[in-house]
Amino acid sequence: MFLTIGSGAGGTGDAILRAMFEARKRVFVDLLGWDVPVLADRYEIDQFDDPHATYLVLSDAAGNHLGSARLLETTRPHILDTLFPELCEGAIPRSAAIREITRFCLDPRQNARQRRRTRDTLVHALAAHALETGLTGYTGVAETGWLQQILAFGWDCEPLGLPHRSGQTMLGALSIAVTPDTPALLRRAGIVPDAVLSAADARHAA
Amino acid sequence: MINLAAAKEFLDLVRHATTNHELYEALAIVCAAMGFDYFALTHHVDFTARGTDAVRLHNYPPNWVAWFDENGLGVTDPVHRASQITSAGFLWDRVPGMIKLTTADRDVLERARGEGIGDGFTVPAHIPGEASGSCSFAVAPSSQVCDDHLPIAQLVGAFAFEAARRINQIRLVEADSPTLTERQRDCVLWMARGKSDWEMAQILGLSPETCTQHLNTARERFDVAKRPQLAVRALFDGHISFADVFGR
Repeated sequence: MFLTIGSGAGGTGDAILRAMFEARKRVFVDLLGWDVPVLADRYEIDQFDDPHATYLVLSDAAGNHLGSARLLETTRPHILDTLFPELCEGAIPRSAAIREITRFCLDPRQNARQRRRTRDTLVHALAAHALETGLTGYTGVAETGWLQQILAFGWDCEPLGLPHRSGQTMLGALSIAVTPDTPALLRRAGIVPDAVLSAADARHAA
Repeated sequence: MINLAAAKEFLDLVRHATTNHELYEALAIVCAAMGFDYFALTHHVDFTARGTDAVRLHNYPPNWVAWFDENGLGVTDPVHRASQITSAGFLWDRVPGMIKLTTADRDVLERARGEGIGDGFTVPAHIPGEASGSCSFAVAPSSQVCDDHLPIAQLVGAFAFEAARRINQIRLVEADSPTLTERQRDCVLWMARGKSDWEMAQILGLSPETCTQHLNTARERFDVAKRPQLAVRALFDGHISFADVFGR
């Protein structure tokens, strides 16, 4: 698997990010039926996909999208403070050392086992990214089923407020602490990453 | 209404439990504080049939549990079945709108009331590759569930189930599951989708005999005699998913 860490400044100009926006449309619009904007019938892109967003994208050797997540700065408008402030009971965590994880996306063209491997690798990539860039943790808004899986990754999670009903589902907000212990906590919970190369190496090799 | 700050103490009791006994005690305290009489944190498996790494912690009346197990309800209990189709917590009075109830199901619900269990709230827990489970809170037939407490019950249920997984080191079934080659898995998937060996051979570009052989080998690896069992095991162990089978 190859990891690309991209910035929103590239938009759909970069093939890896373009593949991610397409995959996001397949997952969040086609599969999950979210009411979010779609560009040119192909790309799921919203107001938070701006130059301040950071993307972690896993691809195969041919550049096909396997999984991705979007990180938003919590010192700028993000999902929790803009769309779901009611999910946070105290002050919304805002810090240069905290990012919000959004659009965690596993490509549906993979089978169950492949998706799980991609998921595990992406979770480790998020922890590694935090440690490498000096982040202390993440926040995130999740539907309760997904929230149960986030807890099961074994990392250190705190609820930010009580869950709220939203249509047929229930949403909750979490903060996730990332420390040097986090990769070991993930492994202890059975979350084991695939070997990851940076996408730049892949292009070089090609 | 309990807010998160007030509930934090309860939540911490549940999250920081290090043994099943501590988790039981924590659930008992939190359950009572939320105005419930009963709690049940359980995997949805048949506890009489399974030599078991599955978890079940509860304070239900012994008569009810004995009858529940005698009838193998771990898997077929209507509340457990309803819990399979949602990820958000639900009140038991919503179950008839969620799944089609049989006469036997109505008997189960009636019997529960007779044994002292009235209304309840169930928080489903679905972890891919593991047996599904849930954490339920219930009141005696003479009492009412307090709606204000449902959000905190949802959160406690989620964290309690995770604590139970951690304490009991519940792991991916896949670790003990036989491996399938990509081709064998493809054949199992197309079989689960209802294709004949001839049809899957056309789709996969193999001979029908090869497909039959792949499926026979897969059955041997899972040690099952029949193909429906193979499909169910492959689904349960996460080699294929419901989304794969239904193409969603």
